[in-house]
Amino acid sequence: MDLAAHELVREDDGTFLVHTRAYTDPGVFELEMRRIFESSWVYVAHESQIPEPGDYVTTSAGGQPLIVSRAEDGRVHVLLNRCRHRGSVVCRMERGHSHHFRCPYHSWVYRNDGTLVGVAQQSGYPVADRQALGLVPAAAVGVYRGLVFASIEAPRITLEERLRDVAPYIDLWVERSPTGEIRTTTHAHKLHYEGNWKLQMENGNDGYHGNYVHESFMQVVSRAGETSVDDVKRVRNTGSVVGLPHGDGFIDRPEGGMAGQFDYHDPRHAEYHRALSERYGDGRAAQILGQRNLLVFPNLYLFESHLRVIQPTAVDSTVVVMQPILLGGVPDAFNVERMRSNERFFGPAGFGSPDDVEMFLTCAAGLRARSVEWVVLHRGLARERAVEDRVVGGHTTDEAPQRSAYRAWRSLMSTETVDG
Amino acid sequence: MAEGAGALSRQDVEDFLFREAALLDDGRLDDWLALFTDDARYRLPIALDDDELEPALVDDDRERLAERVFRLTSTTAHAQVPPSQTVHDVHNVRLEQLPGGELLVRCHLTVHEVRVGGPEQVGLGRHRILPGRAEYVLRPGPPVRIRSKTVHLLHRELPLPNIAFIV
Repeated sequence: MDLAAHELVREDDGTFLVHTRAYTDPGVFELEMRRIFESSWVYVAHESQIPEPGDYVTTSAGGQPLIVSRAEDGRVHVLLNRCRHRGSVVCRMERGHSHHFRCPYHSWVYRNDGTLVGVAQQSGYPVADRQALGLVPAAAVGVYRGLVFASIEAPRITLEERLRDVAPYIDLWVERSPTGEIRTTTHAHKLHYEGNWKLQMENGNDGYHGNYVHESFMQVVSRAGETSVDDVKRVRNTGSVVGLPHGDGFIDRPEGGMAGQFDYHDPRHAEYHRALSERYGDGRAAQILGQRNLLVFPNLYLFESHLRVIQPTAVDSTVVVMQPILLGGVPDAFNVERMRSNERFFGPAGFGSPDDVEMFLTCAAGLRARSVEWVVLHRGLARERAVEDRVVGGHTTDEAPQRSAYRAWRSLMSTETVDG
Repeated sequence: MAEGAGALSRQDVEDFLFREAALLDDGRLDDWLALFTDDARYRLPIALDDDELEPALVDDDRERLAERVFRLTSTTAHAQVPPSQTVHDVHNVRLEQLPGGELLVRCHLTVHEVRVGGPEQVGLGRHRILPGRAEYVLRPGPPVRIRSKTVHLLHRELPLPNIAFIV
């Protein structure tokens, strides 16, 4: 049976299944890159990484190399990192400051807004080439509260439309800063695993695995006397999960507080609580401090301590950038403590992330058993309910956010026409 | 370096570092932990400067380090099932006397790692090599104790597979 890409997600009769090929087939991966990572909105950078004109970072979307720069006009430009001449990248640094990008091969020079401003020995070219051969920009670029999104090909909907349902939760994430200012650290935890990108996509807002995958971390926390394993398991069973339109979704624990992480509710932080309440009001301050591991489909997670970018590099190879964020309007000591707490669980040598990554590897290995066709994702399907445009899970361990992501995946993968 | 009762020769320091490496490779992590002072730090930085606002791969005080050892010896850490087998190589050892009697030791550290597994597994059955430049601050004792161990891994800015063992 040779299923079309959009038939790889099957929902009927109380079941929700994703086909093994969705994780292992290079052809499916190629389609994902074109239909999801190049033709819809994806996260590319945070504005605080490029505060001044001339600042840039390089990244990728759908495997295509990108430069995200702030030009003299103050605007953020997202440019394909490819000289229009013979195809060389024009920038090889991860980040830096430059008003021009010079191709190393034949010395064509581009301004940081993409304009071609210099061609070596240019008499060999028609004059018109200068204007026509700038760096190719992404078809659409938009910024929401510091998060820079782009779509290399023309997206089907505006960024405003795309983010309409998830924006209120992005707002809550930003407002953990009493001044509403988030800035990234310069460095980040970067992980690589040999497995499909969707294994990370499914995991970040999965409330089901914590009690099992992270039992080791719970024991560490319990040993430190911070809380008991039973208490952590109890908290992990509170709250709910929410799936939003366009594939977004989150774990919703209104009382907040991931055990063993920075405790925002600690009375030590009374001054912080006061600052939040003054700026946002008591009710909203309490809401801000709830825990939400928020997926902005397909490649961005907003965690309390970091934003996480999923970069697929092949059907069985993924880079995950855990980019820590610093809160504006708090003392440095507050952020330093957040960073040390972030390291306790996250990153390649933390006490939590490696156990998640190990599950991606065990899944990558197990999914090679292709004679088993389907992955089962209908946990809690019968007890989830639709509330307007969203799906609210009946239990915090239900797979409602994963299903929302795969519904969006199926919708994008079934797009009739693909350019190029 | 200065002569005196507490003075350590390079050979003394190398003997100490070789013993430390052997404790790690033998999985005697509680004994390894006992080499550290109560105010010790164990770090695998990403940034080369000492900016505390930047993330590190590891930035353990003594208590966090004890947690790291506890996680590896007393819990089921999935990232260590099966466990890493390691070989820690220590080389290019250089000594510098610090004011106050402590000793700064710079050396190179190369950690080889293998986790046993068949070809049908992913992430197992490989030989990984993690080279780095290490800096120790030693209290000459006796007994010699580690006040800080910092390893700048060559791969620190690259996407990394799990480092769930101790470097």
